[in-house]
Amino acid sequence: MTDTLEQLIEDVTRGNVTEVKVVLATVVMALAVYQLLLAAVGYGWLRVPFLASAPALWTHRASGDTIAILVVVVALMCVGYYGFELGDDGGTHAVVAIGLLGVLAAKVLVVRVGGRLGRLLPLLGVSLLVLLGITWWTSAAGFLGIA
Amino acid sequence: MDRPSHGVQLLGSVLAALAIAAVAIALVTAHFGPTSIAERELEEQRLEQREETLEERRELREERLEQGR
Repeated sequence: MTDTLEQLIEDVTRGNVTEVKVVLATVVMALAVYQLLLAAVGYGWLRVPFLASAPALWTHRASGDTIAILVVVVALMCVGYYGFELGDDGGTHAVVAIGLLGVLAAKVLVVRVGGRLGRLLPLLGVSLLVLLGITWWTSAAGFLGIA
Repeated sequence: MDRPSHGVQLLGSVLAALAIAAVAIALVTAHFGPTSIAERELEEQRLEQREETLEERRELREERLEQGR
């Protein structure tokens, strides 16, 4: 099963597993920053003359769905191809990534359930951005020669 | 300043998201450059082919030299 997944990942990326993963992770990171701006406009914390709250929140939701799918794809590529290790090198990355997936699941749940739990959304959103940042920094940034 | 219509705001914000994604892809892809596995394999193939051609030429030259003696 693991071999099949590994082969599938290698075939789909034509052998450029790391490169594709870094590109997708960077797209997620860039969109996450945009998400923060959209949320700020949506909640009325930031007022801009060309965008109202409702369309900002709609795009925030649509972009968030895309990010959620990309995060799951990158996580599957990561675990399916490189495996799971909590050693010195990938320890921080793995632990933070697990936290990220947990917070992502919690945010999706809160959005679906709604009600009073909705008050947690800004906190969950900022936590997601921070965890995404750390996950990206401990992996993709190194490949890009930034970290 | 009047806000554009709801539809234009939606379209604009979605297009901005697409543009951000496109710029991120372009920047990272440009950073990696021709170091992808496919490119490297192609380069290796070219090198191997060149070495084979050189080897063939060397053998031919040696044969000719031996025939000339």
